Order: sequence, then C-alpha cells, then structure tokens
Amino acid sequence: MTDYCLRLACPLFLTFMMLAGSPAGARSLLPPDPYPSTYEPLSRQHTIIVNATILDGAGARFERGSVLMRNGELVAIGTDLTPPDDAVIIDADGRWVTPGIVDIHSHAGNAPLPMEFRAYDGWDVNEGTDPNTAHLFAEHGIYIQDPNFATALAGGVTTIQVLPGSVNLFGGRGAVLKNVPGRTVQDMKFPDAPVTLKMACGENPRGYYGSRGIAPASRMGIIAGYRSAFEAAREYSQKLEGKKAERPPRDFRLETLAGVLNGEVRVHFHCYRADEVANVIAVAREYGFDIAAFHHVPTAYKIAPLLADNGVCAAVWSDWWGFKMEAYDGIRENAALVDRAGACAIIHSDMGELAQRLNIETAKAVAAGRRAGLDIPHEHAIRWITSNAARTLGLEDQIGSLEPGKNADLVLWSGDPFSVYTKADLVFIDGAIIYDRQDPARQPGSDLMLGQPALEDIE
Amino acid sequence: MKLLSVLFLVAFAAASAKAETTAIINARAVTMTAAGTIDGATIIISEGRIDAVGEGLTVPAGARTIDASGRPVTPALMNSGSQLGLIELGSARDTDDSSAGESGLGASFDVQYALNLNSVLIRVALADGLARAVVLPLGTDQAPFLGIGALLHLQTPAAVLGQHGLAAMVRIGGAASGGPEQSRAAHWQLLRNSLEDARVYAADPGKYAMAGNRRSLAALVPVVEGRMPLVIHTLRESDIRQAVALADDHGLRVIIYGGNEAWRVADLLATKRIPVVLDPSANQPATFDTVGTRADNAAILERGGVTIAFVASRLGQNYNTAASMREGAGLAVANGLSWEAALAAITRNPARIWGIAETFGTLEPGRDADIVIWDGDPLEVMSAPAVVLIAGVPVSLATRQILLRDRYAPDHDAELPPAYR
Repeated sequence: MTDYCLRLACPLFLTFMMLAGSPAGARSLLPPDPYPSTYEPLSRQHTIIVNATILDGAGARFERGSVLMRNGELVAIGTDLTPPDDAVIIDADGRWVTPGIVDIHSHAGNAPLPMEFRAYDGWDVNEGTDPNTAHLFAEHGIYIQDPNFATALAGGVTTIQVLPGSVNLFGGRGAVLKNVPGRTVQDMKFPDAPVTLKMACGENPRGYYGSRGIAPASRMGIIAGYRSAFEAAREYSQKLEGKKAERPPRDFRLETLAGVLNGEVRVHFHCYRADEVANVIAVAREYGFDIAAFHHVPTAYKIAPLLADNGVCAAVWSDWWGFKMEAYDGIRENAALVDRAGACAIIHSDMGELAQRLNIETAKAVAAGRRAGLDIPHEHAIRWITSNAARTLGLEDQIGSLEPGKNADLVLWSGDPFSVYTKADLVFIDGAIIYDRQDPARQPGSDLMLGQPALEDIE
Repeated sequence: MKLLSVLFLVAFAAASAKAETTAIINARAVTMTAAGTIDGATIIISEGRIDAVGEGLTVPAGARTIDASGRPVTPALMNSGSQLGLIELGSARDTDDSSAGESGLGASFDVQYALNLNSVLIRVALADGLARAVVLPLGTDQAPFLGIGALLHLQTPAAVLGQHGLAAMVRIGGAASGGPEQSRAAHWQLLRNSLEDARVYAADPGKYAMAGNRRSLAALVPVVEGRMPLVIHTLRESDIRQAVALADDHGLRVIIYGGNEAWRVADLLATKRIPVVLDPSANQPATFDTVGTRADNAAILERGGVTIAFVASRLGQNYNTAASMREGAGLAVANGLSWEAALAAITRNPARIWGIAETFGTLEPGRDADIVIWDGDPLEVMSAPAVVLIAGVPVSLATRQILLRDRYAPDHDAELPPAYR
C-alpha cells in the first residue's frame, strides 16, 4: 500500500481516500486494516416501533413517534409513519427509544472479569515496557468472554471503543467494536472504523516510568516525549513522500503517528488536569493535528472555552472524583459546564460497572447541571452518550443518531432512560434484536457463567 | 481574644438554634414507621428532636417554619460502611488512616483516633443527605483482623464521633487482606483460635504475658461476650455459611458485610437473625468469590426476611458515600426490591443493625431531628436534598465542589481570573 499509490500513480485511489475521510489534500499513510472485520449482522426483520417517546440523538424529541428499520438501516422516523405491511410492529406504549449508546472508553475484554489475583497485574491493558507503543492494537488484548460485554449490552451499549491503558504516552490503537457476541474479536470489529490512538498525560506515565528510572519521570518529560515522537513522525512522513530509494523501512510506531499528523488517526487522550490539557492542545497545534477527545479530565470545566475553541470533546465521568490528586477538583457539573461552553460533552465508563449504566451516569450529570441553573433537555443530554461519542470515532455518519440512512442501532427503554428504575427492554444493532429483557433466549452470556453452581435458579 | 469571642458566638448560635422550635409543614412524610407515608404532614421539632409527626398538628407559636411544599421528607440517611474521615485523598499517604500497617495492633487497631472530622468528603456526604456513617477499618498485619470501627454523626461545622468501639471487623475469603496466597481456611481457623483465646483471656487476663497479643485479645472480649458485633466482610456462599456457624458456636452478634452470594443463604440468615450489609449495585462477577452475584440479591434477602442495609458502590465508597448508596437503593428497586424496603435499608435498618434505633432512622417522636426534604423521589438519581436538617437545624449544602463550580461559573464577571472569586 505504501508503495503502490504514490504521487500521481493512482489518482482514483487518492480521490477515494479523500472522500473516505482523509483530510483534503492528504494522502493516506495507513495501509488497510491487516485484521479486517468479519462481522455479520444477526438475522433481522423489517421492524417498526410505534407509540414511542423518541430522543433521536441529534437533538430532537418525538412524542408518540415511530422508527422504521429495514435491512439493518434506519429508514424513517417521525410521528406520522404508517406501518408497512411487511414490518413487525412493536408497540412501545409510551416507552422511550434512543440511539444505541456509544461508550468510547472501555476496558471490556482487556481487563476481563473475574479478576484473577495471581494474574491480573494490569491484565492486557498496558504494555508497560516502553512509553511509546503506538504500534500496538488493543484488539490483541481482548478476551471476548469478558462478562462486561453482556452487562453493557443489557444497559443499551451498542458500540464500544476498547482502549489500551494509560501508562504509556502512546498506548496503542483502540478497538472499535459492535457489542455483538462473536467467536473472535474480528467478529465484533466495527467494519472500516477509522483508526484511533490512545495517548496519555499526567500521573500515570510519569509515575510508572519515573519509578523505574525511565523517562518520563515528570510532566515536563511527558511533553518532551510527545514532541520527540511527533518530530520523528514528521520526518518519517516527509521521507515517505520523497524518492522511492530514500523511503524509510516500515516503522509501525511512526506509521500510526504519521497517521495522526495527516488526520487519519483520531487521538483519544487520557488527561486529568485542565492545565495539562492546555499544554497538550498546544503541542497538537504545534504539530498541526487534532485531538478527538480528552478522556476522564475531571477538571474540564476549568478550560471549557478552550475545548470549544479547539473542537475537542471531553469524555468524563458523572461524579467520580477525589481518588487521587488529579481528580481532587472534579465536580458533578463537569459535563454540563463543558456542554454549556459549546464544547462537546461525553459521558464514558472506563469501568464495567459504569458501562452498564451510562444512561444513569448521564442522568446524574444532567441533574447536577440543572441544579446549577443550566437548561439541559433530555433530547440534548442524550447526545452525550450517542452522537457526540460517535463523532470522536469518526462514525457520526453511521451511528449515534436516529436519522434515515444510519445504522439501525437503537434501544427501547422501559421508561425514561434517565430514571434509575428504567431498564433496556430491547437492544437493536443493525436492525437485529441483540438483547431482549423478556426473552432469555435473546440474552447473550459469557461462557464463564455457564454451569456455575452459584447461579442456579432459586425457588 | 477576637477568635475566642467568635467561637463563643458560633457556639451560642448553634445552641439557640437547637433550643428553638421548628415545624416542617406540607410534608410528604415518609416516616419509616407503622404510620407509613403521611401527606400534608407537619413535623414538629424542639431541642433537636422530633416532637410530633402527623396531619393537622398545630404549629407552636414562634416556631421557625419550613414549608416542604408537598415534597418527600425522610429520615436523614445512614451509610453502613465507608472510610469517611479516614481517607481523604487516595494518593496522599498522610490522608489515609484506614489500615494499621505493621503496627502489631491486630484486632485492637481502632480507627477512632484517626477520624478527621473536617474532611471535605464529610461535607459532600452531608449535603447529599447523610447524617450517620459507620466508619470501618481496612486492614492490620494480623489477618483476618481489620480493626475496630466507629460511628460518625455528620453535622456542621464539623462532624462528631458518635460512638467508638462500634464493632470489630474481619475480612475472609478471596477479598482478604492476607491475599489469595493464604487459604480462607486459615483465616477461619485464626479467627476461631483468637475468639477461644479471648475467652480464656477474659477469664484470667494475667495468663497472657505478651503485651501485643494481650491487647489484641482484649479487643475481642466484648465480641465473645456479645457486647460488640463482629462484622465479617465476606462474599462467597461457603464463607457466609462459615460465618453463620461461627456465630452459633460462639454466640456472637455477627453482621455479614459484602455478602454477594448471601441470596443463596437467605433462609438461614433470616432464621439466625444475621443482618447483611451490601452494595446493591453489585451485579458482576468481579472475582471468583462473586461468581454468584445477582442484581436482585437485596430483593431476595428482603423477601426471605433478612434485615439488609446498604453501602455505596466501590467507586462511590468515600467520595460519594451518600449519593452512590442512594443510587444503589434505586437500582435495588429496579431489580425487585420494594421502594419502602430500599429506603429502609439506608435509614431504619442500619439504625437497628448498628444499635441506634432509639435515636435515629425514623420520623417519630423522640428521634433526633436528622431529616431531609427532597426535591423529588428520594431514590431517583436526578433528585437531591433541598434541605438537610441535623438536630433540627438546616445545614449548609455548600461543599468544596460547589465552591469550585461557582468559581468557574460561565456567567461570572470575567474581569479577574477565577482565583479571585
């Protein structure tokens, strides 16, 4: 790939790549996915859900609305749809419908349950052997039998980004998955999802490497580490553009970073402290790349206008704070204040117990914002776990909102999704029912849970 | 001199507030007693205690009146297990006093001496409606003993120690402090041996020459004499059954803490009147000890007649001690527990389990006027306290987090940097 399409040799391919998402004028530096998705949708029927309260993920709310799904695609939404003869009709009877939830910070599969005390030691989250492991793929650390996938599904999560951990400056590529059971991780991969890269700042890299006598041992070393790596990536990109004889041997780390510099790789950045976020944004400006989202950042509210000005999302927890100095200034209004500044707010999980309740996590963040006097309607807030999240994955044209032409990923909730009493009744991915709360035969489970005596039904 | 007079004034103001009569009117009073929920209720408070609760009561002349406007009014909440006042910031070693380390104190390690009553975490819990918190130790160098817990009474300007020597605590099983390299059988044997030694010690303290061991055994004397409960932090069914057997053999007052698989032993626990303190949000097999974890653990136990009380989730343990516990209560309702039983598990039940039911946990005459007026359903995550009264006095709901929020409020006059606000 790096060789067969240089300069003007195949203009059609270049045009295709530009249409497919590379920034205008930039040539793709990334070969095709060496481990492409083998996902196949489950069997599905044309389906219409009627009489629903719909939050469409794009900012609108429909009362007594309908959504029509055909061949895995959402083809119509509105309050005046006539059920077609060939569609299964589901009467929501006032229950709520939202897009499937998109969780952009998961460790499902790379920190699997149950924890084995003798073997856990970081699970397959961190390759803590080098601060730059931009050449890694999170998918290679994923155990698909992790029960976290099923519990997230029962909570309405349809798309998951599994990320490497945060001890490395460059942790590796994220794995964007459809939350469908498979036999291999490739069976779950979201087809042709853009490449993402996990980066990290702050306490974790400096603490981990500093304690081992390796750089970075300070936040200064962290920023210097980014610059050295991006400087090398810039040279690598330039050489790739040069004469064939002078082209460098393939370098997997630099290939990913070169993809960051030309906008093909979306950067997901673990950072807690607002002032560090500002430093990282300055480095991104220096090297001319964009950051899709900062993750965790409990103090995003302190620099919300900066995030808005730079078009960067903040993916945060609703109320987790205080467990370390970097989180001591975390507040419950964080997401709401980011949102209020015009920046893109997202609620993420990072942990399986939160992944299964992202609707509840969002509810708490919304409630805190409302108590602070901010007007945050349900139809706006649902974006925090749907369309805003999809945007950071470069999948906003396929998932995240219920608009004609998009994938039929949606959740039928038992009630208001922001109520603690509400549960997901039905979860659709590409128009297929992946989870049905009333039908045990439509509830995927981990192999782990089979035959466990402690799970026998009680009288 | 100036400082002294200020202190005097504060003390005087607090005393006079306590002495005055307060009436909460138009309350939807969720009494947690046989009286149930009373709409349009008046709650009359004097001397920091509840005088009367009911419809059509006459508000005493001169009473301060708080209009609940029909909103739910409940007893303030109680959490049955956290390190509130013991841990401030996980990464700051000087603010973590939860474990005895290599002190040799064993079972006698007592958290009461470390309590930081000015903790900002306490203010968060108070603003979230918590009035009582059981504070539990996390470890000693003598497995399976964790130490001795205490009870906090939350109030402003600082919390007070409600009771020291509340309970002794052990942890047994995969979650034990000794770690997985030590068999749980060893933990049960060590515990049984120590209890037997404590009996011998009680009969003749002079028999034990070694000071360290003597103090550790002395700490267990109230346990073997049934004067102090023994909290057994354990998760797996086999261990819960061991705990029941131990309680039988030694005539102990046992409280199961954790109890993820307790639902499988509900009948036995009910028969033996052993209460269970649990995290109702737990529904995943976090470890092999909890493969049998179910979201309806609380509902099954309640249905079986077991007294249950709640704690916060792992993540909310100390930082959202009240809010996370309340969310768990709501989740328990979503998983089959009745609304009343869920509220009881964070008010009346813990008061009974921890021995303060005479003063706390219900809205009825004679109880401390620790009361919350909610802005909505007390078990909904979008609700919050509108007014928190401790001993009948409304407390400030301002936390350090609220101050941060306001410092960075978007509509703030931007003439000077936030540091000036």
